[in-house]
Formats: sequence, C-alpha cells, structure tokens
Amino acid sequence: MTLLIAICVAVIFGVSIYLLLGRELKGMAMGLFLLSHGANLGILAMSGQPLRVVEEKTVLLGPPILTQASIPVDPLPQALILTAIVISFAVTAFLLTLLVATYRRVNHLAADELANDDRPTVLTTL
Amino acid sequence: MLLSRIRSGRRFSCRQLFADRIYHVTGSYMEPTPLLLMLLAVFAPALTGAITLLAPRETTTSRTLLALLGPLVSVASLAMFMNSFGVGVADPSHVTLEFVPSFGLNFAFNPDGLGLFFAFLVSGVGALIVLYARGYFGPDENALYRFYPTLGLFATAMLGLVLSDNMLAMLLFWELTSVSSFLLIGWNRDDRTAVQLALQALVTTGLGGLALLGGVILFAQSTGTWLFSEATTIVVQGADAMAQPGLLPWAFVLMFLGGATKSAQWPFHYWLPGAMAAPTPVSAYLHSATMVKAGIYLFGRLVPAFAGVEFWTTTLVAFGAVTMLLGAFLALRSDELKKIFAYTTVSQLGLLTCMYGLGALSYHEEPNLIWPITQILNHALYKAPLFLMAGAIAHAVGKKYLSQLRGLVRVKPLLAWITIAAAYALAAGPFTLSFVAKEAFLYQIYHAVEWASWMWFIAGAAVLTAIFNVAIFVRIVVTFFRSPESDAPPAHDEHHAHDGWAIWLWLPALALVAWQFIGGIAPGLYERLIAPIETHAMYWDHLPTVFSAAAHAGVPLMLSAVATALGIVLGLSPFWRTPVVDPHNKIFPESVSFLSRMGWGIFATIQTGNIRHYTYLVLGAFLLGLVAAVLHDPDLLNLPVIASIWGGPTGFILASLCVFTLVCATAISLPIFKSRIVRVLVLGACGMSVTGLYLLYQAPDLALTQLLFEIISVILFLLVLRLLPEEPPRVRMTGVLGRAVFSAIVGISIGWIVLQAGSHVDAQSAPGKLGEFFLANSYEGSELTEGRGGGGDNSVNVILVDFRGYDTLGEITVLSIAAMGIFALIAAAPRQAQDRMRAVSQQHLSSSLFQTSMRLILPLSLIFAAYLFFKGHNEPGGGFIAGLVASVALAVYRMAKGPEALKSLLPIKPGTLAAAGLLIALITAIVPVALGYPILRSHTGYIPLAGSDPFHYSTVVFFDFGVLIVVVAVAVGVINRLTEELET
Repeated sequence: MTLLIAICVAVIFGVSIYLLLGRELKGMAMGLFLLSHGANLGILAMSGQPLRVVEEKTVLLGPPILTQASIPVDPLPQALILTAIVISFAVTAFLLTLLVATYRRVNHLAADELANDDRPTVLTTL
Repeated sequence: MLLSRIRSGRRFSCRQLFADRIYHVTGSYMEPTPLLLMLLAVFAPALTGAITLLAPRETTTSRTLLALLGPLVSVASLAMFMNSFGVGVADPSHVTLEFVPSFGLNFAFNPDGLGLFFAFLVSGVGALIVLYARGYFGPDENALYRFYPTLGLFATAMLGLVLSDNMLAMLLFWELTSVSSFLLIGWNRDDRTAVQLALQALVTTGLGGLALLGGVILFAQSTGTWLFSEATTIVVQGADAMAQPGLLPWAFVLMFLGGATKSAQWPFHYWLPGAMAAPTPVSAYLHSATMVKAGIYLFGRLVPAFAGVEFWTTTLVAFGAVTMLLGAFLALRSDELKKIFAYTTVSQLGLLTCMYGLGALSYHEEPNLIWPITQILNHALYKAPLFLMAGAIAHAVGKKYLSQLRGLVRVKPLLAWITIAAAYALAAGPFTLSFVAKEAFLYQIYHAVEWASWMWFIAGAAVLTAIFNVAIFVRIVVTFFRSPESDAPPAHDEHHAHDGWAIWLWLPALALVAWQFIGGIAPGLYERLIAPIETHAMYWDHLPTVFSAAAHAGVPLMLSAVATALGIVLGLSPFWRTPVVDPHNKIFPESVSFLSRMGWGIFATIQTGNIRHYTYLVLGAFLLGLVAAVLHDPDLLNLPVIASIWGGPTGFILASLCVFTLVCATAISLPIFKSRIVRVLVLGACGMSVTGLYLLYQAPDLALTQLLFEIISVILFLLVLRLLPEEPPRVRMTGVLGRAVFSAIVGISIGWIVLQAGSHVDAQSAPGKLGEFFLANSYEGSELTEGRGGGGDNSVNVILVDFRGYDTLGEITVLSIAAMGIFALIAAAPRQAQDRMRAVSQQHLSSSLFQTSMRLILPLSLIFAAYLFFKGHNEPGGGFIAGLVASVALAVYRMAKGPEALKSLLPIKPGTLAAAGLLIALITAIVPVALGYPILRSHTGYIPLAGSDPFHYSTVVFFDFGVLIVVVAVAVGVINRLTEELET
C-alpha cells in the first residue's frame, strides 16, 4: 500500500511541478492546488499501511475512533492532514482571487511578462 | 483547585523574596539593600528622563530639574553603596536580580573599583551635561522635550554597561548605548548628512557589537559562566579550571573587535569625528567623556583574564599606537573646533588602549591598573570642557572654525580663557593632572622597552603625539590672541542674552577643568576631595606631581620636555596648517556602495521576478540537498522492504488498486486537456480520488473534509475562471521536454522519500509514540495529561480541539486572514453596480424547480450539519465538516435564490462573522486561564437525566462551534463575493 501511495505522490508531484513551471498563472494555481494533495498523501503514508498481521492473519485496522475499532490506525497524521486541507483551501482561494486582481491590473496572466513589471531600481547608497 | 493554590502560594513567596532583596528589615526601619541601590543607580536617569515627558511642554525649568534628578540619584546611590558596603561585594547574589535563570540571564551587578569609577564618571558628568544642555538649547522646549529622555536612556545604558557583571546584560546595555548614540547623532532629522553619519556610527558600532556578542559567547563557553567576575577567577586558575581553554584566544579577538569599534580604534575611528553632527552636549558626553570609553572599559575589565593571552599586549599596543598618532595628526590638520577635539579624542582612546596593552605586562606584579584610570579621568576633565566650550563659542559668536576665531580673548574673554585652560591640559602642561597622566604613560612605555625593543617605536609615537597636542594648544592660544580680522562686533546673541540659564553654557566646563589644576597644583587637596572615589577606583595613592617628576628626572621627563619644545615650534611654524580630510572617511560610504552593488548583482541574477525561475531555484536546491543526503548515507538508494498488501482482504486490495489507478490517471491527464473547464473538472476528479485513498487509510474525517472542500474548490475555480479571460491563442511551447524531465525527477525523488519513510513506519508494529499517546488519552485523559482529552471517542477530533487546540486556533486564524485578504483584493461592488446586479440576478433566476427544491434541501442540510457537529466528538464529523456541509448548502441556496435571499438569511457581513467565530474560539481558549488552568483546557462530565442515560457534555463544543462559524463565514463569504463579481 505504501508503494501505491508513493507512486501516487510521485505522479501528483511530477504533474503539479510541471504545471507550476508553465507560463500561465492559471495553470500554476491548479498545480499548487494539486501539490497539496500530494503533500497530504505523503503525510498519510506516515501512518503506515492499515494492515496488520495478527495471529498469522492479515487484518484491516479500524479508524481512530475508540468505540469502532479494536486496533485503530495512528490518528496524528490524520489530524495534521485535516489542518493542512483547510490551510491549502485558504491558500488556493487567496491565490485565485489574486489571479483575478492581477488580471484586472495588468490585463494578462503570463508569468514571463509579469517578471518585467515593477522592477526596483538600483540602490547604491543608504 | 490544588494547582491554583500552589500557584498563588508561589507567587506570594516570590513577592516575599523580592521584598527581602530590596529592603533589609532591621528593627522598625528598612535599610536599602545593595541590590536596590544598584538598581536605583542604574535606572534612575532613564526613569526621570521618561517622567520629563509627562511635564507640560512649556515648563522647561521643572523639566531640567527633573532630568537633573536622575544622575544625582545615581551619584547618591553609588555613594551610599560605597559608604555601607565598600567596594565590591562578598556575595554576588546580593546584587543579582534574576531574569531568566534557565538561560543564565540575570542582572548581576559588579560594583568593583573599575565599575564604580566609571559609574561615578557617567553620572557626575551626566548631571553637568543636563545643566549645560539647558544653556545650550536655551528655552527651546521642543529640543529639551526630546533631549532629556534620550539622554536619560543613554545614562542608564552606560551605567548598566559599566556595573553589569553578567556578560549578556552588559551586551544588552552596550547595544542600548549604540542606539541612543544613533538617536542623538541624527538629532537633526532634516539634515541628510547627519542622518547618514548617525547610520554610519550605528552600523559600525553595531557590527562591533555583533563581534562582541560572539566574543562573549566564546568567553562564556570557554569558562563555563556568564559572569565576568567568575570567568576571570576561572581563567586565572589556569587551563584546567576552564571548560574549553582553546576558545579563549578567539574570544579575545572578537571582543577586541567589539571594543575597538566602540572606542574608535584605527581603522574604525572614522565614525567618531562623523558623530560630531550631534548637538554639542552629546559630543561632550557620549563621544568624548563616556560612551567611547566603553571599549576601554571592556579592555580594563578583561585585563585580568586575558593578560595571559600571548598577543594581548601586541594587539592592543599596535592598534592603540596607530590610533593615537593618526588621531593627533588629523587633529592638527583640522580647522573646525569640534573636529579638532574629536580627533584628539580618537588619539586619547588610542593612548588608553595602548596603556591597557602595556598594563598586561606588569599585571601580575601590580594588579591595580591605576594609570589608565588616571588617564580616563584626566581625559574627561579636559576633553568634555573643550567640547562644551566649542558649543558655547559657536553659540556666542556663531563661529565654529578655529581660523575664524581670531581675537576671541577680547570679544569673549571668559569663554576664551576657559578654552585655553582646557587646551593647556590637552597639551599636558605642568601643573595639570594631564601632566601626571602623560608622565605615567611615558614611564610605562619606558619600562616596556625592557620587554620588547620595538617599544621604542611606541615611545616615538607617544612623543609625536605629545608634539601635536602641544602644537594644537599653541595654535589655539595664538589664534585667540591675534587681533580680529574686522572690528565689527559679533552678532549679539539674542537667543541667550536674557535667559538666566546662560551661565550654564560655561559653568560646567569650568567645574570640570578646575579639577585639572587642583590635581596638578595641589595633589594633597585633590586627593582629599577625590579620595573616597579614588581609592576604591584603584586610583593612585600618591600622584607624581611636577615636583616629584622634576626631583626624579629621567628619560620620561626628558622625552616630555623635548616634546613640549618641539610642539611649541611646530605650533608657531607655518607647516601643516591647511586642513586635510581623513581618507578613512570613505570606508563606510564605499563599503555600503560596494555591498549594495554586489547585492544588486546577486539580486538581479537570482531575483529575476519570474516565478518559474524561483521554482527551478527552490527545487534545484532541494535536489542538491537530496544528493548531499544520499552521498552521506548511500543506503538511501536501496529499495526498502515493502510491506505487502496481498494478504489483506480482497475487497481492500481491489479498492486500493482502483483508487490508485484513478488518482494517477486523473493527475497525468490533467496537463493533456486543453479546455480549462475540463481541466478544473479533472482536477476535482483527482481530489475525489484522493478521498478514496483517505477512506482506504481508515480516515473518515479526512475523507469527509476533503470531499466537501473539493466541491467548494471546484466551485471557486469555475467562478474565477469565468472572471478571467479565455485562453490566449497557443504559442508554440518551447522547452516542454526539459520541463517534463525536471518535474519527473523531482516527483520521483519525493515519491522515493515517501516510500523510504513509509516502509520504515510499516515495519513498526504499533502506531508512533505520539499516536499511541493520543489514542490512550483521548477519552478520559490520564494523570499524565492532567485529565485532558476532551472526553471524545474520535481521536482525530479530540486532537484538533483539545490536544492540539493551538494548531486549530492558528489554522482558523489563517483561514480568516485569507478571507480578509480576498475581500480586500476584490473590493465590494459599488452601489450602482449592486443595483444592476440585483436586476440581473432577478432576470436570470434559475428554474422554479431548483428554487422550490432548495426550500427543502437547505433546512435538511443545516440539520445534517448540526448532527455532524454534535456527533463529531465521538464519530466522524466535527466543526470543520459541519461548517463545510452548511457552507455548501448556503452556497447552493445563494445560486438558486440570489444574493438578496442569502443576505436575509445571513444578515451579518462575512468578515464580521469570521471575527465572531474567532472570538468564540479565543474566549473558549482563554477562559480556563482565568480559572487558573492551562490555556485551552477542556472540561467534560455527565449530567444525570431521569429515566435515561446520563447526558455527556464537554466544553470543547464551544471551541468547535467557533471553528464552524469561521468556516461558514469564509467559504460562503468568498463564494458570495466572487459570484457578485461575476454578476456585475
């Protein structure tokens, strides 16, 4: 299972970085959003695969809810991911709004052109 | 309850302890302890300085008197201290105020001879400067309003510096003196040059302060204590007593740098003449009498410890001699009075450094280093008056260059004569204390020749310095006595003429310079008057007056006679009269400009402004780090043992493979699709597939949250895409292959890391220690957690609202801040547009079926949200999930019925609502503190109900409610705002 997750993380990261390196800001926003999934899955893998050998029989572990499972999985990565999901939502929402604001200001969304706007001038004395 | 009692008990005992340290209760009256006297001496000037701010702006007299009180209280406390406890303290804990004991941070004072001497100097001269400032600024209440608090702050910093035993506390005060010096040099804020010079002084001494910090840390590391007194004792005991003796030379080098920058040693001396942009009282006080001596003080403090370091003497003597000679030469070649005196100060500081360097030679035979102290006092007694007079002359005749002051004796005889008297001391003429000090220095050098023959060079430098000093005196006298260039009377000084305080322009200078002559002519009287300070300051018992020097004539006296004669000749000669500019003045501006240009070069290379370059840079650095890690541990490249899933339940295996395929397929296909709408939908599909992985990993809370956030995110993406332009016509993309390869490398690397770490976890039989702990303590809590745990069965929820409540608090704060940012970025539509929008939204109202069904769906959804909210503590659910369900319902409702309907349903502005949610969470967090428990402590219990199971309650529900409110406010607010944008 960890192998599967690791492959998922590799694929998601690869694709999101490919998008992040694109020339258009919308693609970058999507890449960043996708990236958060990859990061969350990476954390999730740290709870170990939800299978355990008990008395020579592989059993599926239960959710970290005391009344429902005899052997629950590690709750900590889940709590961390829950926080991360919310934060990444906030970041994505902010980023998207930033795109709208940027477009209204400069009338395009090309990263390379943005680089040439608002360059600070050289400062040699205090 | 017990805990709170213990706490209050401890607080009581603390207060008791504190009172004990401040007062000794003896019989019926209270006697101040050494600690109180020390605290008073150090902090009185800053306190009274701060209080002057409260005085009405126009009352200058009371302000002056109040500011005067500070240094006077300091002097009185120091005197009382010496009277009651003598010099130094037997038990250092009597003068220690603990601050952060675990870091070794405290205010430990060390009122030994050196410290007390400096403290008296600082507070005594400080009192005179307060009075002089009143004369200098005149009744200018605005200037005095600013000046006295800053001056008080400086005096406190300086007193703390010289009295602190703790190196860190000394460093704190040291930096504070730099800051107050900065404020005072840049006194005239409209003067660009002054501000630049202030910055130059701050940066130079500040960098020195950094070096000193490093030196202090190394010193403490090598000795194992933060106290100067203890460290010195340890070093003297020898290398065996030290923790790391090898560090000592490095500590010396860094501390020397700190002292050298502060005390303007070559090549850092350039800041001191620059500091003359400050008002004259400041120049006299900070940049001549006290602050610039901080480095000298440091050397004095360190002599006992470092006298054994081989290159101490060489370093100090070499730098000191160069500084001494250079300063004297530049003083001779200056014309502006303040510049002349500034350079002679530089010269004197070099001389003092030299003296402490030489002092180490004889330290082990004669540990009372009296000569430098004589010289420090002597310098303060003539240099401060010289500055004070420079300021007074500039005020009285409006001229600040020596060449303009011809005939001053006739115009302003009093000012001229006081200046001449002080300059006579500068020349170290007979019958002044200065003469004594100079003889002592020459004597010291003469004896050092026995140690190393290159000391003859130092003797030569000393004689040259003496020649320059005499020449400066001669030139001042000659200029003052020459007939004026024009007979026109100088401009009448209206500013001060009718001010009763005008005498304070010259009286402090007279009061100081008088001691020069008392010490020189009547050493007996001088000793009787100064004796109490002097003995305790390890001061000389019997001054070698001009008489005794003449009686025991030797090489030193001969040298000084030669110097005097040559000095008079040089003073009268036409040589070296044109002013020169010190080439070192360029050091600071040139370095700043060099660094800025270099910084700009790096900036232009790295900071291209193109976000893609940043991504490459960051990820490239990440890959480099990874390569380094692999080189360090090649095992990282081995394939780990991967736990198999094949033994697990068939359904689980099948589901895993399906979800895995879905996630990978959606992710890979994402860049392939061209249509942006399709892309967003595929993005959503990928997120939904990730939800499946969460379910497989037994994380129902995650799955629910992810599902709902995915829905809201897709809505957001679609809204924003509609606000953005259509796709531009595609240009041929270049470098796609390189981009793909790079992304693949990074992706595979991260996947590899996850595989390595994850299979390591798989090999363990139980969840990690923390996870185990949370599982064990979620419901009831245990002794270890002091009953925490929140009383819930759902561990994840308990972690969020109780154990890691801080994280959640931070998280909803981030959420609210992001929302505020969004509202600010897209400002609310103007009124007119809103009306138009209303019309539009009424036109395109969606189908009546949709609207009617919303009537049913909304209440049902809200009830479901409430159910999830209350269930969340024991089963999947909780504030986040409930909030999201409600948000989705409200968002759909808004789409169906328009903005007005939402507004009537939720009349509060989203920003206010988010703030309210945060407030609820915060109050829940803080209430336990008010009740004497740790922050965020929850309370859980049972209410017995008749005829049924007892009702289980927990106070975390309020916290979770705050979370819910924030989530609803943010999600609904953002969607609503973006939809409004779309509709206008």
